[in-house]
Amino acid sequence: MGKYLLGRLLWMVPVLVGISLITFIIMHLVPGGPWDREKTLAPAVIANLNRRYGLDDPLWKQYAHMLGGALRGDLGVSYVYQDRSVTSIILQGLPKTATIGLTAFLLALGIGVPLGMAAAIKHNSWIDYVSVQFATIFAAVPGFILSFLLIIVFAVELHWLPTGGWGKPQQIILPSVALAALPAAYIARVARASMLEVLGQDYIRTAHAKGLPQMAIYFRHALKNALIPVLTITGPELAALVTGSFIIEQVFSVPGVGRLFVQGIFQRDYGLIMGSVLFYAAIIAFLNLAVDILYSIVDPRIRYS
Amino acid sequence: MSTIVRRTLRSSMFLLGLLALAVFAAACGGSEPTATPAKATPTATTVANTPTPSPTQGPALAAKQEFRTNLVSEPATIDPNRSAFAQEITIAKSVFNGLLGFNQDLSVRAVTAEAVPAVANGGISADGLTYTFKLRKEVTWSDGKPVKAADYVYSIKRMLGPDLAADYASFYYSIAGAEDYNSATAADTSTKATLKDKVGVRAVDDNTLEIKLRAPEPTFIPKMALWPVYPVRQDIIEKYGDKWIEAGNLIGNGPFVLKEWVHQDHITLAANPNYWGKKPALQSVTLKLLADENAALLAYKNGELDMVSVPAGNEKAIMSDPTLSKDLLRFNELTVFAFQYNVTKPPFDNKLVRQAIATAIDRDAFVDKVRNGVGKPAYSWIPPGMPDYDATMGTQYKLDPAKAKALLAQAGYPDGKGLATITFSYSDSTGNRTIAQFLQGQMKDNLGIDIKLDPQESKAYRQFLTQNQHQWALLGWGADYPDPENFLPGLFGTGAGNNHTLYSNPQFDQLSKQATTELDNTKRLQLWAQAQKMVIDDAAIAPLYYRERFWLKKATVLNLKTTGMDGGTPGDFFYAEIAIGK
Repeated sequence: MGKYLLGRLLWMVPVLVGISLITFIIMHLVPGGPWDREKTLAPAVIANLNRRYGLDDPLWKQYAHMLGGALRGDLGVSYVYQDRSVTSIILQGLPKTATIGLTAFLLALGIGVPLGMAAAIKHNSWIDYVSVQFATIFAAVPGFILSFLLIIVFAVELHWLPTGGWGKPQQIILPSVALAALPAAYIARVARASMLEVLGQDYIRTAHAKGLPQMAIYFRHALKNALIPVLTITGPELAALVTGSFIIEQVFSVPGVGRLFVQGIFQRDYGLIMGSVLFYAAIIAFLNLAVDILYSIVDPRIRYS
Repeated sequence: MSTIVRRTLRSSMFLLGLLALAVFAAACGGSEPTATPAKATPTATTVANTPTPSPTQGPALAAKQEFRTNLVSEPATIDPNRSAFAQEITIAKSVFNGLLGFNQDLSVRAVTAEAVPAVANGGISADGLTYTFKLRKEVTWSDGKPVKAADYVYSIKRMLGPDLAADYASFYYSIAGAEDYNSATAADTSTKATLKDKVGVRAVDDNTLEIKLRAPEPTFIPKMALWPVYPVRQDIIEKYGDKWIEAGNLIGNGPFVLKEWVHQDHITLAANPNYWGKKPALQSVTLKLLADENAALLAYKNGELDMVSVPAGNEKAIMSDPTLSKDLLRFNELTVFAFQYNVTKPPFDNKLVRQAIATAIDRDAFVDKVRNGVGKPAYSWIPPGMPDYDATMGTQYKLDPAKAKALLAQAGYPDGKGLATITFSYSDSTGNRTIAQFLQGQMKDNLGIDIKLDPQESKAYRQFLTQNQHQWALLGWGADYPDPENFLPGLFGTGAGNNHTLYSNPQFDQLSKQATTELDNTKRLQLWAQAQKMVIDDAAIAPLYYRERFWLKKATVLNLKTTGMDGGTPGDFFYAEIAIGK
């Protein structure tokens, strides 16, 4: 196991370097730069700006400089949010995005898994049909429509919750619910399908034949096996939720990192783009590794040499 | 059908019905307009431009004097020397006071200076090269220290420094030595220091500031009322470096202080207890940073904001809403939109073609139908509200399809035959798309020409335009300062930085040169009027409309003074005058 872990961690380095190189190249190939404004700036001003941010160096030099900084843990500065370090910008927004992401994740698991399990257990009953319909509807409704619907119903009409922003615990509810809808639907479908598959296995029939109570069969024998496919999608889902949704954060005005990356691209904020990409790539790599480790814990059949 | 299928259908119908009901109920809630409005659309309420009496004698004031509005996006910085965007300038205007400022009619007034320098009071030398500002002695920073002439010297030289890379440094190149200093990008430290010393700004004594220009510039006075020359604290900047603009560090001399800046969430300004001038009636200003304008509108309806912008497309709905239409805040901006031709690319190298097209655009229909009556049709380039606005300028291009067709035939393209393909490029946004589609319709209806639309991503479009790759494009221009000099030479002078029509007229350049240094204001404005006429007659651009701000403001917000140059929010020149009624 130790060797496996070490191998995976070492592999992360060339992967991240590769990602940074591809991003850097694409970033500079895209037309338009950070100083292209509505009103054209004077040539001397552009020269000053380029010099200040090292954009007058040859591309390879810029890349080397950025990479060197990243290896030392310095993700650079934002060109647009004048000189605030990318790390500080991300750290400021990450707790908020992560809070909503984690809440949504727990909601999605808390709704999706029981619903999927119940649907599989009471296969072809009304519970089954309701859960399948629920999964289909919430997988189909786009995020921004659901968000506005929630705001209109719960904030503007009922005045139960605020329309958005950050600072009060009530402000976490609506964005988390909006964000949890799709993962919940997806998890419900996967849980249902995998539970159905497990319930058809021989060892479950043996347990029935032995006379074990239903609940014991479901919770002690079937559940763990049924959860493995759910675990597979959990890793990427959690990564996606923690890095945030642009639309949810935009509509609910959550000051997190979800919009940061996309805004950075629109503004050609090279510093912020590179820093964000490296940060996200690292998070996703670690989360995937965590999920793989969890596999081996949950399923004794899986062993890493 | 089988039991399973029937059951599935039943439960799905049930659920779909529930969802549809919910959507229906939400959509038909009180905030949406009813199908038939009770009466005709009320005429827009414009905020009175005359100053209202002091709030203490007027209506009863609320106990909590807090003004909340939406600034939409996070300011990149609020360092006045480096600020370039509307949101940044909004904050700077309340947290700092400069030597000069603007009145509501956009005439210049003295703020921290005792008087606006003029030849009559000795503030401007006879040759127009030396400006002397006498500072008011009572001006202090929010921590009580006096604001000295040296603070202005430090600020101006800092703003002109190549290392700071300030966007607006080029506006002050008229100061002696400024351009050389700002252009010394790659020079070594000692050369930069020498050039810095040569910049013509010095403190004669603690309360007298002297600025020398390299040539007379009649627009230097309004430029000194802008934010890049607000004073800044050298010791604070040196102590905190880039973090000097954060709440708790920033020291300004304006009516408000920066109390709180929660990045991406909101900015709170609090009244400056040590303000040297008339204290603001407000205790605090909360500027939320709600990026989504539809969500912001909902927040306004929910009572969380006192003033909000109306997202494009909702104007009609708001105007017919019985409650919201009473809150309307509409006023003209010093902003004009036009179609700019690339006069070096066929068919726009032919003046008659440009004129024909300009005459084939129904601007009234645009404002009425596409913009729902918000804005005004534009025939001149310089918008109303500017000192020399001329309502007769450009009226030869009023919609006249017969005349347009005749001009086109005269150009050698009867009925548009033989005309090269025309592609209209623009930055893809909801507003611009409607303009482009309108234009396409107009060309087809009035001239029988098909044009291609080329929407582009914002920054890609900017680069495309800067490199003059377009054939025909959209042009928008908002005033930096209220003078025709801001609208003409930079856009239509030969080789000028913002000239993307590639218009080059030696007579225009000659007029510009004269007007830029003409100290007699009447004569100067006449010269600019002639210059504008040249551009309009040559149809280098086809003006479309003047923009109008369309916001909502609660009736409890009193004394909001708007100008055509308002930045991030209406009234942001005069937050200190706002009061909240009961």
